[in-house]
Amino acid sequence: MRDRRIEIGIERGQRLEIQVDGEKVVAYQGETIAAALIASGRRTFRRTQKKNEPRGMYCGIGLCFECEMEINGVPNTRACQTLVTPGCQVKTKTSPDQTEDEL
Amino acid sequence: MKKVELLIIGAGPAGMSAAIEAVQAGVQVTMLDENTLAGGQIFRQFHDGFHVTDPKALGHDYKRGQTLLSEFASIRNNVEYMDACLSWGIFENNEIAILRDGDSQSFCFQKLIISTGAFDRPVPFPGWTLPGVFTAGGAQRLVKNQQVLPGENILLVGSGPLQLALASQILKVGGKVAGIVEAGRVENWGKLARASWGQWSLLADAARYFWEIGKARIPFLRNHIIVEARGSGQVEEAIIAEVDRNWRPKPGTEQIFKVDTVAVGYGFIPSTELTQMAGCQHRYDLLRGGWIVDRRENMKTSLPDVFAAGDCTGVAGSLVAIDEGRIAGLAVAQALGYLTKTDAQQRMHPYYKRLARSKRFREVVDTISFPRPGLYELPRNDTMICRCREIPFGEIQEVLQEETEDMNEIKRRLGTGMGPCQGRMCGPAIQAIVAQKKKIDPANLGFLNPRPPLKPVELSALADHTQL
Repeated sequence: MRDRRIEIGIERGQRLEIQVDGEKVVAYQGETIAAALIASGRRTFRRTQKKNEPRGMYCGIGLCFECEMEINGVPNTRACQTLVTPGCQVKTKTSPDQTEDEL
Repeated sequence: MKKVELLIIGAGPAGMSAAIEAVQAGVQVTMLDENTLAGGQIFRQFHDGFHVTDPKALGHDYKRGQTLLSEFASIRNNVEYMDACLSWGIFENNEIAILRDGDSQSFCFQKLIISTGAFDRPVPFPGWTLPGVFTAGGAQRLVKNQQVLPGENILLVGSGPLQLALASQILKVGGKVAGIVEAGRVENWGKLARASWGQWSLLADAARYFWEIGKARIPFLRNHIIVEARGSGQVEEAIIAEVDRNWRPKPGTEQIFKVDTVAVGYGFIPSTELTQMAGCQHRYDLLRGGWIVDRRENMKTSLPDVFAAGDCTGVAGSLVAIDEGRIAGLAVAQALGYLTKTDAQQRMHPYYKRLARSKRFREVVDTISFPRPGLYELPRNDTMICRCREIPFGEIQEVLQEETEDMNEIKRRLGTGMGPCQGRMCGPAIQAIVAQKKKIDPANLGFLNPRPPLKPVELSALADHTQL
């Protein structure tokens, strides 16, 4: 899989690594988790509770909540609204939905 | 509770422009924005880490954004600016509750300008939940703001000018566009030409987009829509079909595009949660995106202390948002006694003049690209309508067979709109489906009542609020 990053008119921030379901994934400072995953060819960010369907980023502006993942132990975190940090732990959401705990 | 003179919610083109005018007139401005950086969606800034080396390579929108952002930066020291801040409820007596860093706070405003923008119209069709189907705005944000291509081979489907802009942006960075599928139909070229007269900057953009798309030999299919996305685990192919003038697919015209990515852009929906919750009067205008706030003179809503500007009042794009924002800022300055009526009118004049010109153009473009009934007839029984709670079209249809046409009743019965997106993704589609099935004017249907909190908020924050 080719890296889907482009560099037109910009330079990226510092290279770092994040952990996605235990695998190392390269990311750069300033990227969102969603962008880093998509750049590496990963598209399924969670599976749904009822039908176990794969879902990934859809709206990209924090409204649809389709990109919810477990990020640094915090469940139901939107990958499109969260910036990468060195060593951050990202897990595909497969466990039962926890949205009931929220409002 | 903190008392403020002017509260502006949303730091996109409209909000920034309103702040600039109000501060220059002497108003004390407090500004709240959900993002960490000002700019809104269209003028979204790069996060720390990215370093711009060649602003020219980033295109016209970037340049336009920089012009406004630097003007805003010059007054920012005079603004109480709160970033990463969710305005989750408006209550009586001009009170707004916000959440920032896990803490709930509230403000009491003398005047309020709501400039919360718009979001991509979600359109359900079989396969629209597959990974690899993005909204056009979401795909654009990846390309423009993260410099990541959403996929290897991208099909753009929808209606309206964003498709052209997005195609050009993808091509410019070396991405592959499989085709552009445009549902709209120009029925009156003469009217379009007359309305375009004078819109030189927008026309130059359009000409450049068409030239780039033509040069790259990208298939451009008019009067076609996507009817299905298929794939195992992610998008592998998109089925498109030719449509009639109501956007109903013509049998036998289906074509398959082997693509891994579909960007769907059927225009935008105004973010009216705050104007609705504030209690402003709204009206239904399909051409401007659906329910929009009803305005009096100078961007004032039906409530004397509440003004609204930009796409949240009816989708019209960033240039209109800037002019509306400036007028709103001046109107508030006048209402608070910082400007005389004559002075305010004089300053508003150039913005009104520009608005009148762009209005004609926008109306013609809207007439071409607004969603026709066929768009909402694509779901099959197993197509998810509510993405959050996994409620398929079949279940909604069952409820509709009974005597229900109340959006809030459907919400109570099925739980649509009760997941974390709070109905933003399914609400517009359910409204269109109900209106079409029951043959009711959507204006008589009402809408899903937004209730606080407007986005998922931890219970502890609400507990904080009740103690205030």
